[in-house]
This record gives sequence, structure tokens and C-alpha cells, in this order.
Amino acid sequence: MNYPVDLKYSKSHEWVKMDGDVAVIGISDFAQNALGDVVFVNLPQDGDSVSAGESFGDVESVKTVSDLISPVSGTICQVNEALLDAPEKLNQDAYGAWIMKVKNLDGEEELLDAAAYEAFCAQEG
Amino acid sequence: MSELKRTQLYDIHIQAGASMVDFGGWEMPIQYPTGIVAEHLYTRHACSLFDVSHMGRLLIEGPERVKFLQHVLTSNVTALDLNQAQYCIIPDENGNAVDDAYLYRFEEDRFLLVVNAANIDKDLSHLMKIVKDYDCTIKNISADYASIAVQGPNSREILTTLSGGEAVTEPMKNALNTLEMEGRTVRVSKTGYTGEPLGYEVFIESGEAAWLWGRLIELGAKPAGLGARDTLRMEAGLPLYGHEMGTAPDGSAIPIFAVSLAKFAVSFSEQKGDYIGRKPLERQYAAFKRIMSRNFTDLDVLPRRIQPITLLDRGVMREGMPVYRGEELIGWVTSGTMVPYYRHEGEGLATRILDDTVKRAIGNAYIASDVLEDDLVEVDVRGKRLKAVIPPYHMRVDAPPFARPIVYKPDEEETVADAGNLEPRALELIQKASENHRWRQESCINLIPSENSASRAVRLLCACDPAFRYAEHKKIKSFYDKDIFYYQGTKFIDQVEQLLVEQMKQYLGCSEVETRVISGQMSNMAAFSALMDWKNRLDRKHTPKRLGYVLNNHIIKGGHLSAQPMGALHDYIAVDPVTERSAVVNFPVCKDNIYKIDVEETKKVIEKYRPELIIFGKSMVLYREPIAAIRKFVDDQNIPTTIMYDMAHVLGLVGDHFQKPFEEGAELVTGSTHKTFFGPQRGVIGVNYKKSELKYGLWETIETRAFPGSVSNHHLGTQLGLLMAAYEMNTFKDQYQKAVIENAKYFARCLKAQGLDVAGDPGIDYTETHQVIVPVGYGSGPEVAERLEQNNIIVNYQATPDEEGFTASGALRMGVSEMTRFGFGKEAFEQLAELMADCILRSKNVSEDVKKLRANYAEMHYCFDDREMEEALEGLLKQIGL
Repeated sequence: MNYPVDLKYSKSHEWVKMDGDVAVIGISDFAQNALGDVVFVNLPQDGDSVSAGESFGDVESVKTVSDLISPVSGTICQVNEALLDAPEKLNQDAYGAWIMKVKNLDGEEELLDAAAYEAFCAQEG
Repeated sequence: MSELKRTQLYDIHIQAGASMVDFGGWEMPIQYPTGIVAEHLYTRHACSLFDVSHMGRLLIEGPERVKFLQHVLTSNVTALDLNQAQYCIIPDENGNAVDDAYLYRFEEDRFLLVVNAANIDKDLSHLMKIVKDYDCTIKNISADYASIAVQGPNSREILTTLSGGEAVTEPMKNALNTLEMEGRTVRVSKTGYTGEPLGYEVFIESGEAAWLWGRLIELGAKPAGLGARDTLRMEAGLPLYGHEMGTAPDGSAIPIFAVSLAKFAVSFSEQKGDYIGRKPLERQYAAFKRIMSRNFTDLDVLPRRIQPITLLDRGVMREGMPVYRGEELIGWVTSGTMVPYYRHEGEGLATRILDDTVKRAIGNAYIASDVLEDDLVEVDVRGKRLKAVIPPYHMRVDAPPFARPIVYKPDEEETVADAGNLEPRALELIQKASENHRWRQESCINLIPSENSASRAVRLLCACDPAFRYAEHKKIKSFYDKDIFYYQGTKFIDQVEQLLVEQMKQYLGCSEVETRVISGQMSNMAAFSALMDWKNRLDRKHTPKRLGYVLNNHIIKGGHLSAQPMGALHDYIAVDPVTERSAVVNFPVCKDNIYKIDVEETKKVIEKYRPELIIFGKSMVLYREPIAAIRKFVDDQNIPTTIMYDMAHVLGLVGDHFQKPFEEGAELVTGSTHKTFFGPQRGVIGVNYKKSELKYGLWETIETRAFPGSVSNHHLGTQLGLLMAAYEMNTFKDQYQKAVIENAKYFARCLKAQGLDVAGDPGIDYTETHQVIVPVGYGSGPEVAERLEQNNIIVNYQATPDEEGFTASGALRMGVSEMTRFGFGKEAFEQLAELMADCILRSKNVSEDVKKLRANYAEMHYCFDDREMEEALEGLLKQIGL
């Protein structure tokens, strides 16, 4: 499993990368592996506001559906629409296949660094 | 997960990196590192292995085993022959399912019942309570044997490698076999839960399970987990207990007839007696029939049914999601996900499966019984209403070796274009017909065994005036059986018909002939109709009884379509109340030569079934039919029957070089006049009953079932042509038939020498008929036949007796009669064999060489071709203005 050190992670298995004042958000390698083959992503819309700890969409694998939980609060400024046609990118490249970008940040969940997140995942098994 | 049970293959799954889950108390692989999507796709295009050892295997034995099973299962156990399996349901007193199961009969006196892993304890306690009252036992042998499902288009080849080339099972679904694989005994069943047309389940002793799994992987199969097993069965529309059976999301029990498979799994045969749940199941069946007739006035018994469902909006359906019609809640999704499939391009047989894949959101739903195919509904996907539709199915398996995904498409409205001026089209038709005629007659080498070319005289006569006339006629007893014609202007055709009958009697060697039937299929229909009418002649106050048992050649073993229940026998064959299937039994074939009837085994079948009709004759035919041996047997045993020989394919071979059907003991011969015979396309029926015989009445019935039973107008023009063909045949048959059979044998030898595979016994030069069968590799028949056509060689692709059906054909069926008529002899067939090998084995373009070879043999033989005939035909052409 891969835990890049330049990212922060939520306990609901999203990653956050700061790009200036914009938060780029996706799901972790651990999450995609647990989900199995991702077959569909329900994306939010540009301009929607999101709240930390609340669902902003969901990701469907063959087996199950899982809510996407926003690790930050703010306004969505871009959505990765390529995932609608190629949801398997989340499996192939979890850290390259971002899901949304959020600006006007005004709050975030408790985020872990790579080492802490790896330890957390090991516990979840 | 220490308390979970593990199968014999647990360690192998762990080594392979499988993700394990709790499935009904078993620790089972949900997927391997490849993932569910890849495992699903690999099953569809190659071959996957599924460990199904967790399922319950119960052995039922003892004197009252059948009686017991008839009582606790929905299926008709007496219909289950040795080496057959059947799908069944274990019903409760209310007509609901305790479980669904598969019943296997690998041994004469034992049954194997395989039940769902999660239900085994429940099933056992249910069955144990009942078995106490029967003189038989249930033994749980689940731990003694492992089962592996081997599923997908490559499964057959992989298992055949392990069996050392022996056919794994008969090609039909639900066929079983016990055989050796590399020294181990395995039981194989042509069944599965993926919908694959090629799929097997293999049972092996527990200690050998790991070995078998490993060998299957070495031979190219890949492991697949329960995840793929679920998506595959969902795409195939197969029910899963706990989803489509058992308890619905609202807590109600799902009635058995809510699942359409119940139609096959539930029997109401008298053989079954008053089995568990019979009464409520009869009520469900009555409701089912009403609903299928679109009578929705009473939906109390079956308020909802399981139907396939496809999402039209983007999203994924899951089990339990509500389904709406407008604002009305009509049911729930019972299974749903996204499944992948390979895209395809092209149409029909030329359909090519591509490498790239797409996904679709499909599932099953338990919804109101008045929802019809193509109805639009909505699914509540976590608070969002998504549009969905009820498709007829998600997948079809009638074009093996592949399962074909059917992507929902609404019917398009057809628009009729304005026809405009039709003369250009008329001219185009003439041009195209001319091109086609010259291509088939001058450039092509035609090897289709059911075709021939007619002489110029036959062709011209077919175009004369009678082609547009009527001449209905019937024998009238008051006039001492003189034929009375219903139309004037028919004296000439009357004479032609009498001459034709005389010529055909002479040719067939029999006392009576009917020539009004216009095809071989119609000959058989008229004969079957007459046999049935004759059977009922002494009782006209009841609905006539149909024929049964009938002994024929199985279609997969080369049997003629025109002698099958799906063909001409359809409306005349009875259903056996014991088996609830058509009362047809098939000639056993020799184990070491599947093209040949096994006479000794046939005698046993005749003794057991005492068939009232025995139909010899095939469309894929390499051997003479053993008529004399069977005639002697039924006479010695005093078995009342009618021996019929459907000679459609070999009518032109009647004589010293092949068979003389009536001398050998056939009573009734049917045929078509344009395959090996020289005529235009018609049929003929001959019998050899004397006026003094009881069965002469059958003959008279055949005449009335020909007219007015089958035709009013019997196409007089071709009758004229047929008379000429009969003159030709009766004049030239000895030379023609000898040449045909010698050519077929020589052609077969040449093809073999060129490196092609040739079916049949080399000891007799492979064939005793005009046909030669060349296996070209499983499923390759259509492609090779198309390649040959591009090279001007026309053949039939054909499934051999151990293949699943015509799309899986692995052979070419060829006949030499037409080219023999054009003068082909040894030299020409030797050249042709080389050209065919170049084309088939070396993919060479030989189209020009074929044309050249064909051009050397332009002249028709075995017909009257002297100057006098030529002048007569020229005169005819001028006089009739053609």
C-alpha cells in the first residue's frame, strides 16, 4: 500500500493536497483497494458548497457503494469529470485521480499525516 | 474468522492472494488480486475456476430414493436419465422455496443433490424429518468431495486436454460423465452458474482437489471469486437464493413461480404424486399462466415476479432499492451492480468480439406482475429517482461458444420509403441474377452436399406453361380409384405425373409413389400426418393421439432436421407423461465412431421403448444405415413398428453402390429430389405395401395427407423437370452413383494426404456416401467456410456430433455429387484438395486457381447430351418464346 508523505489523510480514507489556497481531494490507495473495482462515481457539481465530515458524493464498486466524505469545508471550484467515463482511474492511480478541488476553505476534519494514516489503516486491517 | 469453515482449496486461495470473506459460514475468496471485473471478463472470453466446494453435496440412495425425491423436490425425478442433471427447487408446504438445488444422476442407483452452502443445515434438517418415512438414506458427502466450476469458452478444450482427448461430456447442457483425468477419477457435469454455453462442474475426491486446481491453472484457467460468480449469474439472469428466492425485502415469501425458471423446475406429472407444496404450486402455475397471457385481473397468488432490469440513467442499482411506476411502489431490486462486457462489431455470424470493454448497470427486480417487457420504471437510488427499463434479458447463450451480452435498445419504428420508379430496380434484379447465376455455375466449385445442378433440359422444362397452372386431383373410390381432376386443361400434366410416378417406382424399387409433395420436409410432414391419422383410424370420436415413441438420429449426431420434433415431427409427436418431454429416443452411436449407429445398443433401445416409428436417415451422413439388421430384429422380436428411411440426402444414391431401402426392409421412403438426385426442388414418398396388406390403408392415408393435406397446387412446372431428371437418373444411375462414391472416397484420401483432418474410418476411405467431413477446429467452421467462399469454394460449416451447435461448428460438410456431374474425377478432386489445403492451412488466396479448375469442367454429365436433344431444346426455346 502506498502512503505519499506530501498528503494529508482523513479517517474516512480521503486524501488532501494543498495547491496554494485550493484543496485537491481524492480517495486513498487503501480505500480503492478495499472497494475493489470502482465502476461508478457520483460527483458533486462546480460551485456546490461542501462541509467537512459530510458526504459530497459516492463511489460504487462492483460489490458495494461507499460515501465520499469531504475532509474540508468550502466551495467546489472544479470536479474531475473524466471519472464519469473512466471510474477505474481511481483503482489505477488513486493519488493521480483527484475527485474535486475546493476553495474558500473555512474548516477541516482532523487530518493525519502519512505515518499516522498508515498506522490507522493497519488497525482497520 | 477462526470459527468459519474452510474448503479443501483454502490454502491455494490464500497463496493466490485472494480476499477472503464470510459466505454462509464459509471463509471464501470474494476476489483474487485481479479483481472482480477482470475475473468476470476472463470467464466470458477464456476460462475461470470457481471453488464451489462449500456447497452441500448430499447422496441419496436406497430402494425408495425416487419416491422420496419426487416428494421433496419440485422436479420430475423419473425423467432424469443416467448421466443427466436437472435443476430443482426444494419446496415448503406453502409453495415457497426452502432452497434451490441441482440433482445429478451419475450412477444408476444413487442421486447427488447439491444445495446452497448457506442453507445446508436448514435443508438437511428439513429433509431428514421426511426421509425417516422412506426406505432410503441421505448421506452428507460434502467433506469427501471438492467441486470446481470450470466455466468459459476455453473450458472444454482445457478439460479435454486433461481427459487425454476423450469427450468430457455429451455436448448438451446438463449432460454428465465419469472419466479418468491423468489417472484420477472425476465426475463432470455440463452445468454452471455463469450462463456460459461452455461450462462444467467437476467433482473430485478431496485429496485430489489441489492437484486438479493446479493442473487447470497450468492449462490456462484463472481463479475467480464469489464476486465474479455473482456478477456473472446476474448477467445470465440466474436466481440466487436470498435474493430472487426466499424472503422479499418487505418480509414476504417469494413464491416459486415468481422466478421464470420455475417453468422448467416444477413438474405436475402424475409420477410426482402429492408432493410437498403441490397444491399451492398448482395455484401459482395457474396464476403464472394467466399473467403470461396478460390477464392481470387476479394477482393475489403472484403479485410480483422476478424480472431483469436495466438502468437507463447513470448510476448503480443495489439490492433492496425500491422500484416505482409513477408514484406507485411496485417492488424492489433483488440484485444489482455494474457488469463489464466486451464490445462487438459486425452483424450476425460475422459479429466480432472486440478487446475493449464497457460497463452497464443491470440487475433483477421483484416487481408487480403486470409490468411488461420494455416498460419504463424508476429506481430510488439513495433518494434519487433513476430511470430504468425492463429488458427481455441481459444476455443470450444460443450462439456458442460465447455468451453474448444483449444491451437494451428500444425498438425503432420502421419507415417505409417511397418506392418510386421500379423499372431500374427490375433491370438491376436481372443483372444481379445473371451475375449470381454465372458465378455459381461457372466460377464456383460447389461442394454443398444438399445441392446439385440440373441439366439444361430439366431447367427449361421447369419454365414451361405448367409452372403457372393448377391440377388438383384425387382418387375416387366410386370410379375404381381413378384420379379425378378439378380443373380443365390438365390432360398433359396428368400424363406427366403418371409417367413420373412410374419412373420413381422403378427407381426406388417399390409399389407406390406420391410425387405431389413439393419438398423433402413436406414429404416427411405428410408421412407423419398419415402415420398419426392411421394410428387413430378406428377412433374418430376423441382427439387423435400423437406418435410416440419415435426412434430417430439426434440432430447433433447428424440427424435430419426434417425428422426432429423441432422440424417436421413437431405437430405429430406425443409428450411422454413420465418424462414430460417429446416421445423421441435416439439411435445410440458407436463410442469409437460417432458417425455410425451402434446396432447392438439400438436393439436394446428398441426393446425398451418399442417405438412405433423408426426413422433412418441423416443430413450428415458417412455410412449406410443398418436397415436390414434392425428389420430382422423387429421381425424376430415381433415388435410392431414402421421402418421409414428419410433419404433426403441420399435419394440419388439408391442402388447397387449404396443402399436399396425396400430390399433391406424399409417400408416407407421419403426424400428430396435435388440433393444427390438430378431434379428441381421437390419431394417424394414411396411405400412398398401391397393392396392386400393391412398397411395399404396407411398408403392411402399418405396420398390424402399429400393432397389435400399438404398442397392444393403442387407446382406443376417442376414436376415436368423432375420427370426429365428421373429419365436421366434411371438411364445413368449406375455410372453416376459409382463415380460419386469413388470420388468421395478419393477426395477424402487426398484431403487427408494434404494434412487436413478427415472424419470417419480410414479403413473404408472415410465415407460410404457422397459426403466428406473435415474437422477444422472447434468453433472455426463458420470462419473457414467464409474464407473458402471468398476463394470460390462453397461448403457447409457444420457442428460435429460432439459440438454444441452451428455457431460452434468445427467442421466442414462437403459432398461431391454436383462436381461429379460436371465431370470431376480423381485428377480434379486431387487438385481441389490441394487448393483447399492451401486456403485452409496456409491462408493462400486460391480464387483464380479455383476458377481455372472449374472452367475445365463446364459440361454437365449423366444427362442426354446428343445432337438430337440439343436440337430439341433449341426448338423448345424458340417455340415457347424464351
